[in-house]
Parts: sequence; C-alpha cells; structure tokens
Amino acid sequence: MSVAETTEHAPGYESPLITGEQTFGSISRKIGEITERKTTMTWLLAFGAAGSLALVLLGSIGYLFYEGTGIWGLNVPVAWGWAIVNFVFWVGIGHAGTLISAVLFLFRQRWRTSINRFAESMTLFAVICALVFPGIHVGRVWLVYWIFPLPNQMGMWPNFRSPLLWDVFAVSIYFTCSLMFWYVGLIPDLATLRDRAVTKVRKFVLGLFSFGWRGGNRQWKNYELAYLILAGISTPLVLSVHSVVSTDFATSIIPGWHTTIFPPYFVAGAIFSGFAMVMTLAVISRKLLGLQDFITLNHLEKMNKIMLVTGMMVGYAYSCEFFIAWYSGSIYESFAFINRAFGPYAWAYWIMVTCNVLVPQVFWIKRWRRSIAVMFVASILINVGMWFERFVIVVSLARDFLPSSWDYYKPTFWDVSTLVGSFGLFFTLFLLFARFVPMIAMSEVKGVLPEADPHHGGKP
Amino acid sequence: MELKDKEYWRSLEQLAGTDEFRHYLEREFPKGTVELAGNSWSRRSFLTTMGASLALAGLTSCRRPVEKIVPYVTRPEEIDPGVPNYYATTMPLGLSAYGVIVTTHEGRPTFIQGNPLHPSSKGAVSPIVQASLLDLYDPDRSRSVLHHGKETAWDDFVAWWKEQYDRYKQSGGEGLAVLSESFNSPTLSRLKRRFHETFPKAQWVAWEPVSDENIYKGIELATGRVLQPVYDFSRAQVILALDCDFLGTESEAIANTVGFTEARRVRSRSDAMNRLYVVEPSMTVTGMMADHRVAVDRGRVGSLLLALARVVTARGVPIEFARGVNRPNTELASDFVQVLSGDLGMHRGECLVVAGRAQPPAVHAMACAMNAALGNVGRAVTYHDIASLVLSSDTDLAALAANVEKNAVQTLIIAGGNPVFSAPRDMSLSTLLEAVNDTVHLSSHVDETSLSCSWHLPRAHYLESWGDAQSWNGANSVVQPVITPLMEGRGDVELYALLAGGEEVSAHDAVRETAQPLLGRAGFESKWRAGLHDGIMPGSGPAAVVPGLSMGELDLADADGLILSFDCSKHFDGRFANNGWLQELPDPVTKLAWGNAALISPKLAEEYDLENEDMVELDIDGRTLEIPAWISPGQADSSISVALGYGRAAAGRVGNGVGFNAYKLRTSDNMWFATGVKLRKLGPKYSLACTQDHGSMEGRPIVRENTLAGYKEKAEFYPREIEHPPPVSLWDEHKYDKGYQWGMAIDLNACTGCNACVVACQAENNIPIVGKEQVCNGREMHWMRIDRYYAGDIHDPRVLVQPMNCQHCEMAPCEQVCPVAATSHDPEGLNVMVYNRCIGTRYCSNNCPYKVRRFNFFNYMNELPELIKMAQNPEVTVRFRGVMEKCTYCIQRISLAKIKAKNEGRTVTDGEIRTACQAACPAQAIVFGNIGDANSRVSQLRQNDRRYRVLEELNTRPRTIYLAKLRNPNPALVKDTDAKAEGGHG
Repeated sequence: MSVAETTEHAPGYESPLITGEQTFGSISRKIGEITERKTTMTWLLAFGAAGSLALVLLGSIGYLFYEGTGIWGLNVPVAWGWAIVNFVFWVGIGHAGTLISAVLFLFRQRWRTSINRFAESMTLFAVICALVFPGIHVGRVWLVYWIFPLPNQMGMWPNFRSPLLWDVFAVSIYFTCSLMFWYVGLIPDLATLRDRAVTKVRKFVLGLFSFGWRGGNRQWKNYELAYLILAGISTPLVLSVHSVVSTDFATSIIPGWHTTIFPPYFVAGAIFSGFAMVMTLAVISRKLLGLQDFITLNHLEKMNKIMLVTGMMVGYAYSCEFFIAWYSGSIYESFAFINRAFGPYAWAYWIMVTCNVLVPQVFWIKRWRRSIAVMFVASILINVGMWFERFVIVVSLARDFLPSSWDYYKPTFWDVSTLVGSFGLFFTLFLLFARFVPMIAMSEVKGVLPEADPHHGGKP
Repeated sequence: MELKDKEYWRSLEQLAGTDEFRHYLEREFPKGTVELAGNSWSRRSFLTTMGASLALAGLTSCRRPVEKIVPYVTRPEEIDPGVPNYYATTMPLGLSAYGVIVTTHEGRPTFIQGNPLHPSSKGAVSPIVQASLLDLYDPDRSRSVLHHGKETAWDDFVAWWKEQYDRYKQSGGEGLAVLSESFNSPTLSRLKRRFHETFPKAQWVAWEPVSDENIYKGIELATGRVLQPVYDFSRAQVILALDCDFLGTESEAIANTVGFTEARRVRSRSDAMNRLYVVEPSMTVTGMMADHRVAVDRGRVGSLLLALARVVTARGVPIEFARGVNRPNTELASDFVQVLSGDLGMHRGECLVVAGRAQPPAVHAMACAMNAALGNVGRAVTYHDIASLVLSSDTDLAALAANVEKNAVQTLIIAGGNPVFSAPRDMSLSTLLEAVNDTVHLSSHVDETSLSCSWHLPRAHYLESWGDAQSWNGANSVVQPVITPLMEGRGDVELYALLAGGEEVSAHDAVRETAQPLLGRAGFESKWRAGLHDGIMPGSGPAAVVPGLSMGELDLADADGLILSFDCSKHFDGRFANNGWLQELPDPVTKLAWGNAALISPKLAEEYDLENEDMVELDIDGRTLEIPAWISPGQADSSISVALGYGRAAAGRVGNGVGFNAYKLRTSDNMWFATGVKLRKLGPKYSLACTQDHGSMEGRPIVRENTLAGYKEKAEFYPREIEHPPPVSLWDEHKYDKGYQWGMAIDLNACTGCNACVVACQAENNIPIVGKEQVCNGREMHWMRIDRYYAGDIHDPRVLVQPMNCQHCEMAPCEQVCPVAATSHDPEGLNVMVYNRCIGTRYCSNNCPYKVRRFNFFNYMNELPELIKMAQNPEVTVRFRGVMEKCTYCIQRISLAKIKAKNEGRTVTDGEIRTACQAACPAQAIVFGNIGDANSRVSQLRQNDRRYRVLEELNTRPRTIYLAKLRNPNPALVKDTDAKAEGGHG
C-alpha cells in the first residue's frame, strides 16, 4: 500500500501522524543514524556547492567593505536596494519556525512534531542570513555598533524613535528566543545521540551539549515547563518581529510605504514565505534522507492549507492597499499604486501577484495539494513571489513626491552575488545541521506514537 | 642597524633643502611652483609657496603627515589664520570683463563672488565665472614651456624670441603673424599698438569661435560705426529676444539678468511686470522665462523680424528698412507678430529688441533700427565707443589662413585660444600650421593647438596674473593676481610686452603704465590703490553715443529644410571643458551633464523614429558627425541644435572625450547654422547622463504659477494646493520662538534657472564631482539642484524651474528615522547633519520627500588630485565615504556672522548672512534671514500672498518657502487652454 493511501484521512478518524509501524527504537535508529553514518557523497557535493556560494557572499562583502555601498545599484531616490529586500525576505522566511514550534505547540497541534525541528533550524539560519544585511548595508560598517545603546562618555544614545532601532531589538530578541527554544528542544535528542555514540570523543562532546540529560521524571517535568514558557514567550514574537520590520516602511512618509496595513500584512506574508521554505526543504530532505514515514503527506498537506490561507491573506492585503490608495484621496498614494501595477516596475509587481496570489490557488484541489511535484514547484514560486513583494515595496522609492528626482534602480553584479551568496550561507548552515543534529525531534515524535499514550484497545 | 644623525631632520627647512624633497616637489608640481628665485617676494607669493611647500612636505611620508601644520614664524600682516581675506579682481572672458571678489584662505582662493561695484557682475556670478576658480587648481594645466614637445624654460623662449625680434625688426615684421583672442583691455591694446609700431608689416588677427562679431557687424551695418550696445533690461517693459539667450549664454548675462528681474519683480499685487517675447530655435534659459515663445529655426528669425517690422511700420512707427528688403515670411506665427507689434507700439521708449550672436548681421541691423524707431536708444539700449576693443573677425582669420597657405607667414604666434580645435573646418588649420616655420602657442593647457605648434608657453590663470579689462560700458578694472602662478604660467600682458618690446617686462608695471594717463599723475598711487580695492578704477567709462542710422544693404536669405544650429555651451567655446564643476553641471534645459547631444523636437523625433540616446549621423555637405539624439520639447521642428565645445581630445583628464565635437561640422559659411542637414538614424544607443528623467509635475502643486492678471484678481495659483485636514502632530511641537530662526524664501518669479547657485554651492561646500558614470546612476552630489518641469502642450511647452535644496523642515521626516540621531534639529531651526555620527543607513534620504539628501556612495574626495584639494573651503568638513550630506543653509557662514556679531556685542543684522547660492544669484531670487525677526526681508516675504510651501500637506513645515511664479502673457494671445495655467502634463 502506498504512503499516500495509508495517510488518507477518513471522516471521523484521524490517521496516525507517523507511518511505517515505528517504534521508539526505530525512531531513534532512523533519525539518529543520519548523524552517525559516514558522510555521503551527495552531502559532500551539496555542501561543496553551498559552501562555494557562501564564499561568494563572503567575497562580495569583502569587496563591499573595500569599495563602499556604491558597488550596488543604489541611487538617490532608491537608497535602499536588494540588501534591505533580502533582509526582509530572510526575516520573513524565519517566521515559520517560531510559528510551528511555539504557536502550534500552544494550540496542541501535534502534527507539528515532525517538522518543528528543521523549521526551527531553518528559522535560525534565515535570521542569521537576515542579520547579515542590516550590518553590511550601512555606509560606514566599522561604526555599525553605534546603533546599539552602548553607554558612552558623551551620553549619546541612539534615536529611539527610529524604526531601524526597533528592528535591531526585535530581530535580536527573536533570534535569541528562537535559539533558546531550539536548543532546549534539542537537549533530550542530543542525550539520545550521546547514548548511541560509540566513540569516546563523540560521547564526551554530546554529553557536554546535552547538559547531563538523563531522562528522569523530574527532568522531563522541568523540561516541559521550560518548553511551555519559551513557547509562551515566542508566540508574541511571531507577531511582533515582522510587524516591527514593517514599520521601517509603515512609519515613513513615502507613498507606497506609509501604509497602516503593513504590520498584519507583513506577518501573514512572513508565515506564507516561511511555510513555503519549510516545504521546499522538507520535500528535499524527506526524499534524500528517507524520512517519508515521519514527514508524511498529511504533514505536507496541512502546510499547503496554511499556505493557501496566508496566500489569500496576502492577496487581500494587496487589494486592500489599492482600495485605500483610492479611498484616501491622496494623489501621491493613488499614483504610487497605479505606478506599481503599470509603471516601470510593473513586471515585478505582476510576478509578485502571480506567484503569491495565483499560484497558491492550486491548493484548493486536493490532488494537487497532495502532489509532491506541485507543492515543490509552488513553494519555490511562492518564495520568488515573496522576494518580489519586498522588492516592489522597496522600489516604491523610485517614484515619490517630486517627479524631478524620479529614477530607476538597476541591480549590479554585486547585488546579485550578495543575494545568491546569502542562499549559499543558508544552505551551508542547513547542511551542517542535517549532518550533525537530529533533523526531527525524536523525543517529540515518540510522544505522538500510540505507545506513548497507551490505552485499552489501542485507541486513544 | 646603524642610525645616523642625519636621518632625523631637525626642521622643515632642513628637509626642504634636500635634493630628495625637491624631487618630491617637482614630481607633484614640476617647476614653477617652488621657484623661489625671481622677482620681489610679495605677500601672496610667500604665502602660496609656504602653503604649497608645507602641504607637500607631507608627501615625503606615507603616514599621516604630522608636519602639515606649522605656525608662521613671522606672521604676515593682514593674515589671521582661519579668517579669510577678500580681494577684488576681474575675470576677462572674450570681450567681457566680470568684476569679482575672491575669498582667499591663507593665500588660497576658495570662492568667487560678484563685485557689486562692477557693472558687468553687479554682485552676482554666472556658472562660468564661479567655476573659473577650479581652473586655477587644474592639475592638467601645462607646467612648463615646451619646444617641440620637450620641456624647456621661459629663458630659452625669451632668448629665441629676442633673435626673432631683431630679425623681424629689420624686415618690419614681414612673415610674422599673431593670432590672438579678442580682448577689451587697455594694456593689451597699448601693447598691440606698440607691436604694430615695431612690426608694421606683421599681421595681427583676433579670432574667437564664439564671438559677438555679428552684433558689431550688424550695428556697423545700421549706423556705420562699430559700437558696443549696452542693454538696461530694467528699463524695458516689453522685450523681444530673437534667438538671444540674454539671460544665459550671451555676453553680459549677469547684468542682463539683474536688470531683467528688476523689471519683473512683483512685491505686491499692485506691481507691474515686464513682458518677454522669445523667438528661438531651441529652449534656452531665456525661453524658459518667456511669457510668449515661438520656436523658429535660426534661419527664419530674420524673416519673422522683417514681418514684424512691416506690421510695426503699418501701425505708424516707420521702420526704414521694412519696405525694401526681401520677402518676409508672413505665414510665420502671424498672431504672435500682430500682437507683438501692438505691444511694442504701445511701449515706445520702454521696450527692447535684442538679437543673439548667432543671428546674421542683417538681423542685428534690423534690431538696431527697430530700437531706434521705437525710441529705445538712450533708454533700454545705449551705444558706446570702445577704443581698446579688439574684435574677433572670421574674415581676418580666413585672410591669415590664406597667407599661411601662400607661405607668407614664417612665424605665427597664437596668443591664447585653441584654433586647431575650434577653427572652421574648411580652413584645416592643423595642416596649415605645419607649413609655418615657427609656431608659438600660449595656452593654459597643452591642448589640440599646442600639439601642432613648435613652442608651447604655459599661460597663467587670471587669478595669477596682472592685467586690466574694460567692461562693456567702458568701466576700467584691474586684473589683480591673488596668488602667484602655481604652474610656470605667464599672463597675456607679459607675452604681449615681450612680443612688442623684445624684453621681459613685469606685468604689474605694464598695467600701471597704462593706468598712468587714465588716472593722472597727481595722486596716482592713492587712486590706483582705491581702484585695486574697489575692483574698478575711479572715474572711468565713456559717455553713450547716439548714432545716426544709415542702413546699409541688407542680405536676408530665408533658409529651408532641416537646419543645424550651433550653440554656445556651458564650457563657452570648449575652453572650460576640463572643469569638473561645469562638466557635472546639468544643462539648465535638458539637464544633461557630461556631454552634449543633438537636440531635436518631439515631432522630428517621431518623424525619424528617434528616441533619446539614439545615435544619429548629421551630414552637411559630406562632413559628418555621429552624436546621440535628445528630445527637447520647445525645439523648433525644423531645427537640430548641438552645443559647441565638447569632444575635446586634449583638454585634460576631465574633459577628454566628453561629448561630441560639433566644430567638425562648422565651416566659414555656416558659423552658427547650416542648412540642408541630413539626419540619419544609426543603430546603437549612447548613454547620456541626465539628472532629471521626468519632466512632468504629474499635476502636483510643486511649482505653482498664475498669470499676472489672474493674480491681481485673486491670489490663487495652479496647480491648486492639495486639500487636507489641519495637520496634527503626535507630540508637542517645539516652539522655535527664541533667538535666531533661520529661513529662506525663493522667488520662483525671479529664478531663471541659470545654475549659478548650483556651482556656487558646489564651490562653497566642497561638494565632490562624481563623474559621468555616477551621474548616470543617479548619484550626483549637488546640494542645490534646479528642477525643471514642462507644462502645457509638449510641442509648445511652458517651462517651470525650481531651485531645490534642503527645506529645513521643522518636523523633519529625516530626523525621526535616523537610528543614530545623526541628523537632528538645532534650536535655530536648522536641520543639521552630524557627519561624524552618520553611519550611512540612508534611511533619511529615503524618507525625505524632497530628495535633497546626497550620499557618498564611494570615497569621492579621496581620488581628488592634491592640487584640487587646495580649492576646498577650510570652513566646511570634507565628507568621507558612507556619509550622508545635504544643504546646511551655509551654516559656516551663519556661525561666522554670529561670532562676529557676538564679539561686537550686537545681534546679526538682516542681510549680513548671505548663503552661497544667494550670493551667486543674479536674479536675487533667494533671500535668507531670521524669520524670528518680523522686519527681516525673509519674514516679509513669508507674509507675501504668493508664498507657499512645497508638499505642505505632509506637515513637514519647511523653513524654505517659495513665492509662486507669475507670467505676464498678452491677453490678446492667451489661448483658451492657457487661461488657467493647470501645470501638469508634458
């Protein structure tokens, strides 16, 4: 019987979250093995490719530091370009992790257990990629630490009214919480790996990182409380981070930026793109690492439903912006939106609409919702669309109030290399993670096996 | 390692004595600069040499040069380090002389402003005058005498010339010829006379590629005398400009602008305003100011004038020539001609007809006759005899060329100018020069002509040399050096004296010698000193003459087909091509920087299927030029315009290869326009650097205007302001009610868009030149820009200009978004930029609705040659890469005035502070002052009913206000569509 059929929902009956008749032992073995076996050729090739791209990022940054931000296509109306687009894009990607781990945890969505680990990891890596950009895009990088409120003899504080400063706080808090959450969840699994380790060194290192976890009752009690509290802390962050990022635009006075809908619209978009990225990675890793039993079509279908919903929220936001542009009666606002759809950047706008609004509509059809090929292509298109969404927003700058300063922004080689390089960094980190850390939260997956909740008659 | 005592030099003097040091100096400033020997040590030469040597001493070290700052051992009188000195001098340019006041910091000239006492500058400058400062520090200027390309010394040349001198003196100058620029200088004229006395058979030709020859010929045609017309636009109520950009590129544009705006200034609703009619082939600064403008190609302007003269005659003002000549093209703009003739007739004695230098003499003769018939002579136009004038002559140049061809010239001395580059192409001067035994070229650069000459002599900049010049109305002024020559250059006076007398003479003595008879022997010294101080010699200027009309034969051929006109560019005839300030300055109309283009009308573009930047080929009788096309609304449909002076091959590092050389198409038959041009579209595109891509205001109330009549009815302006609810602030607003509160008012009715303020701002504030590529990328650094918008019909547009700099918003959007608070408000209402604190997020620029902030994307200043760094204003910080910058309202000038006032125990008086843009502006469109003082000029302008703020609805509260533009169209010519000037599309 194929996997697709066994995981089909029957009315009134919830199919098992994990298939393949797994036991506690088989889960430890199957997931633990990935980190224990010899490095495969596939991994080495992938790592080589990703690492090379990461070096492209490093090189681009080096040249940027040497020459200045002029190597990018920036000009005076468009003083922010791909660096900020990439920043918002990566921060957005980084949203799915927290949503899956914290929000779904609080809502007792147990299907999250199969994907939460690598969604969280992906979050961390995406946020790392995101954090690169605000740091390097400033004109005088060697003074970038001035945006932190460091006490100094001049009593000179940063400007707390600036959304860029809010960004610094929001993203760094988000990163810290996500890291803690991720690591706390990892402790029991690291201990499992420690117990499975055969070499002394491995045992020692994993022993260090698992903080002496023994799996005792008291430890589990404390662990679960800590996990719950961290989930509680992280949940508002899901809403706040991208809301704050959106204020970079929303609090300005530039038409096309100055929009009150931005905070919810950005959050929806972030979840949308984050799920798409999880989907892309999940489809690849479950195939390559043979995790079809853990990440089942059911899981993927649920994610597709979330993408369909958030995609429509984003679509609603797009149309709402147009309505408000007209309803506001502001000639600048109306112009900015007409210009978006029909101006020099119309091509980008229509790529965005196609990818973000039209593409997810395929998920109305169940067969496509459960088709690996469809969801894989769709998830990539969605991320292309979400990147263009940020691009469209940023280049609103090209045509603002005084037509005399209107200009056109064209990316240079270095803009492209920095974006491509950031993907390299992301995949490098992800591959390291896939090689050395259990990709699926073993302890949590074990918790959703029937054995974890024994009942009379075998049914919960 | 063994250390020697010698390695630790004890003082700079000791170091300066070493060969090594001299070697370093020579590498940077070969010869000249540190030539301490020679004549007496003037205060300035001492300072200059000190300054340069000390600065250069730093070069011996590759680390931070700690020995740069050395206090004076004996401080020269008059010099307080850090306190600038001001000297009056004169900039000669062709036949014009512009009186200027030069700011010097520790001996370095750093800024030029107009001399209010001088009739040609009246306290203002033009872009060229302001930018001429940078030429002084041009590192590409020639550094030594060259003989057949080899470096040699002035002494060698002098020795050589003495031989020639003796030889030619024997023969009376047979075979000797001089080709000079035209000049209006008593000393040079005196020396020229002496030259003719010494060498009676020698030929002296004056020639300039851009000259007013046609004007003088035309006046001679009409009156029989060569006279200088002097216009007083303030006395003209109705002005007709015939292909005459009198506010822009024509001679005396500064004085013209001052006069013109005086008659145009509207202080209240009861004021009157002059009316400007413009007939021209392509849009110019004057055309942008026009109340009525007709685009007519250069060849048909004469016909239009003739038609006008006939109508004027028919209306009872007899104009002599109107009947006899040629066929008038009465079809041309007949409404315009009818109405204009009525207007001129109604304003007899208070109108003015002016024609541009590109019009043939016949048109000037007609204009002269019109002015005489309309009773304007002695009022808006006066004629002056100018004895010392040496006019440019195309025919003389042709005669010289013919002589050379006949081998009748053995020695040719080219005193200034660059004829190989600019002479009419049918003369093929570069090959002719090879036939001359000895050719001598005096030039600031080793240019195209120098390369074809056997001797090259470096020419001193006017700020380095003694001389004198007469203004257009005959006022005498002295060219006074403010610095000793930085290179080995010598001035024209020195060369002319050497040519005429065979020996070296101090230019200073020569100029004083000329002044002796003019000033009188009694009290000469005090008068001389007063003249030097004031920049104008006392008691000079001949009276106006009233010439009788004796009209000669007029030759007026009507042109047909496509016409190519040559225009004088912002580089004049190309001599300023190596000036980065001018290269980067956007053209006032097309906004093109770094290059020229073939300007065509939208209709012609449609006809030939051309877009901007399409390469085209222009063909005149087999002479071709490939050049990109640029669509310029307002261009006559049958006319293509190309600016001269581009496409230099030997201008220097800045000017080489910028633009396309239109001289290639210029021949003696068509000096200013050519008929029968063939236009052909070529395949590729060529990238042009335009600083303004979009020319329409999109119906937004950015530049607001009305007609004078409409304004008198009601103070309403179009496009109408955007309705908005009363702006509410989120926080308690700062009151700004104590102390000085700075503000600016810009009168759009006065602004002509001439760009003088842009260059002045660049000079004052050390604004970097970024080059063509960066301008193409939209990264020009000008703090002050002039926005140009088209309105109305694209085939017959109105043009609106608006100077735009930091508006110093009280509720500045930039300040709220800077994460490090690098831009913030000071208690005097200035939006200040703290460069030290800026980390370069560029967020402020994004959030600036006026987009006046400029970012240092690269380290632009680092690439500057050391020499150019000497042009920088020490009062203004030089910005590093990664830092945002913008207009500061010239905060350094504010501080200077405040400190001075505080020391004197008073407050700053109104008008004491003039920002650089304000100081430069010939139209006096910019007023700066304390808005906290209700009596200040700026406060009063803020009460004016034409005031408005740009983007007021955003609640940014700009401190800069604008006064709406007015036009004064003739009611008889107002089309229905113009009735309400709904600025907008185009």
